[in-house]
Amino acid sequence: MAELNLDIAPKIKVNDLNFYYGAFKALKSVSLDIPEKKVTAFIGPSGCGKSTLLRTFNRMFELYPDQRAEGEIIMDGENLLTSKRDVGLIRAEIGMVFQKPTPFPMSIYDNIAFGVRLFENLSRSAMEDRVESALTKSALWKEVKDKLHQSGNGLSGGQQQRLCIARAIAIKPKVLLMDEPCSALDPISTGFIEELIGELKKDYTVVIVTHNMQQAARASDFTAYMYLGDLIELGKTDDIFFRPKDKRTEDYITGRFG
Amino acid sequence: MDQTHISSQFDADLEDIRTRMLQMGGLVEQQVRAAIAIYADSNLGHQETIKATEVRINQMEIELDDRCTHLIVRRQPAAGDLRLVMAIVKTITDLERIGDEADKIARYAISMQERGQVHLPGFSDIHIAASTAVSMLKDALDAFARLDVSMAGNIVLQDKHIDNEFRSVLRQLITFMMEDPRTISTALDIIWIAKAIERIGDHAQNIAEYVIFVAKGTDVRHASKETLEQAVAS
Amino acid sequence: MEANLHHEAISEHNPIYKRRRLLNRLLMVVSLSMLLYGLAWLAWILVTLLIEGGSALKPSLFTEMTPPPGGNGGLANAIWGSLLMVSTATLLGTPVGILAGTYLAEYGRDTWLAPATRFLNDMLLSAPSIIIGLFIYTIYVAKVKHFSGWGGTLALALIVIPVVVRTTDDMLKLVPNSLREAAVALGCPMWKMVTMVCYRAARAGILTGVLLAVARIAGETAPLLFTALNNQFWSSDMNAPMANLPVVIFQFAMSPYADWQRLAWGGAALITIGVLGLNIAARLILSKKN
Repeated sequence: MAELNLDIAPKIKVNDLNFYYGAFKALKSVSLDIPEKKVTAFIGPSGCGKSTLLRTFNRMFELYPDQRAEGEIIMDGENLLTSKRDVGLIRAEIGMVFQKPTPFPMSIYDNIAFGVRLFENLSRSAMEDRVESALTKSALWKEVKDKLHQSGNGLSGGQQQRLCIARAIAIKPKVLLMDEPCSALDPISTGFIEELIGELKKDYTVVIVTHNMQQAARASDFTAYMYLGDLIELGKTDDIFFRPKDKRTEDYITGRFG
Repeated sequence: MDQTHISSQFDADLEDIRTRMLQMGGLVEQQVRAAIAIYADSNLGHQETIKATEVRINQMEIELDDRCTHLIVRRQPAAGDLRLVMAIVKTITDLERIGDEADKIARYAISMQERGQVHLPGFSDIHIAASTAVSMLKDALDAFARLDVSMAGNIVLQDKHIDNEFRSVLRQLITFMMEDPRTISTALDIIWIAKAIERIGDHAQNIAEYVIFVAKGTDVRHASKETLEQAVAS
Repeated sequence: MEANLHHEAISEHNPIYKRRRLLNRLLMVVSLSMLLYGLAWLAWILVTLLIEGGSALKPSLFTEMTPPPGGNGGLANAIWGSLLMVSTATLLGTPVGILAGTYLAEYGRDTWLAPATRFLNDMLLSAPSIIIGLFIYTIYVAKVKHFSGWGGTLALALIVIPVVVRTTDDMLKLVPNSLREAAVALGCPMWKMVTMVCYRAARAGILTGVLLAVARIAGETAPLLFTALNNQFWSSDMNAPMANLPVVIFQFAMSPYADWQRLAWGGAALITIGVLGLNIAARLILSKKN
């Protein structure tokens, strides 16, 4: 069900993934493909495991000792869960943007340079270029170019979230994970971010978790519906929202859930 | 849709639109029957009813259109709900056209009667076509009411019969006209009526196709017979 | 009819409402008078200190040594000794406290060691300072067989540590977890996350904790009595007994000599103003942060 019969190569292939919070099984044998350079949205009611699934991709769950994942998450032929590589390198390849904007307590410039410096020794001018291009890509450059050395906390919520996106893409990841990136934003800022997501998929594989079904419909190419730890249906967003195959998806999409 | 919507108002709105559309369908069906009665029984008594009904049908089309727009704007229906609303928007257009065709049939029937009867045989073929068209329309509306896909599939296939009837009527009348030019005016009127009946069949077929679209999400317009059967069976 | 139902209840004359309003007034009056009662004592202390000590706050207080009874003098050697010991103790205690607090808040989250340490630290935080003085006396002063500046410094450092541990722990825990996740998600190793992100976010709070610790040890007498003791002369030798304000105040205030008593008032005023200044500085740093 989770295999997409399309010509698009999957960037990430999840095979039989199980996830546990202590004794509680939060993902039940989930398998799916994440198509390359497309936007894939995970939707479903609270507690369905969509954020949990997202957080397995960059092994964020390892910060918490009672959380455990079993199975395969294959990217570029490597199982990310059992990789011998430093987890920092994996996370550098798979950027993440969070629900609430999380600017670091430093200047706008340093917020972006921080991640770059973890992996690269750039000259001053090369770093300036990198910061500019990241901010340009995240559609923030025009608004902040005159205050790069002011604190990132002084920006509006929507700008802060775009700063976080810039910070994530500055280290040139392959995949960008977004965990409800607009849930703390007003509709205008949300519109900006959605527009931005459309731009980002030219260069990155984007995976977005959202509570807002309309957002999934607007911003994604593919949509996966999850319920109680199961992947119910994955398909083209148009199909999921217009002619879902599974009754449970239809009930959720049309608001007959509960 | 056996589960109720979180918003009961949404369910009520949607159900209301569907019911009204079916009511409009009932009116249109009645209109077609009345028009054909004028032609068949030379009964002019239906004339006034037809005019009044035509006005009501047009009003209902506008009203239903408005309600559908309202529902889309306020509720953003998705999946099956969205397909239902879209199908209703299209169905009411077809129903209104059927109403226009019925009006046409009535007008030509009346003009024939006013001109005085020139006897032409082969009218029975038109009766068959007319009753097929009426039953197609009735079945299409029934299929819509029950979202009955197999019934809708049969209607789509049935339309071929009406097309054949129309061609055979046309052939006969052309023969008459060539033999006796005095029959030309009457024959032309009959051709217009036959054409209107054929159009009603087409519209009924459209409605049946929308039923499959609502239920299965597959667009079977202009599709091959195989695709149609596949969609019905899926 | 229904409208009336609502209007009757919501009125100035409703007995429930009247009683509650009365109670509200009463409580406000009581709590306000308690506040004034508490403040009055504090104001009394400050005013007395300023009146009695104010006259002693002369330049000679900062330039002359502690005098013998009947002689003229100042507190220069005691001020110097206090500054030397307090700053050294802060330099010794702060890094230990910050690192221990960092362990508790960042690294030890899921170990048994962290809660146990936190519990012990809280005990140390509320331990009477005289016990700390006695402890250093036993393990250091008695071993080297003489009182010394180092002894005093060690005792004060021991008081600094739990305060800084506690504030560092608390302040780091206030740093939202999302910030840590955001740093880690960039591929940042843990030590860099702590030093570059968490410390920055908790900077003002930790600094405040250090300032409060300094304020606390600046006025400590008991631990110094057993360790640094006192010195009549200017001394920067940390291996010798060292003069310091609290012990000098203690000694001079207890004496029958009027000029010693006046110097004690001056020292007391000096410490109080210093502590007040530190507290105000801590407040300013925190409020600027917010």
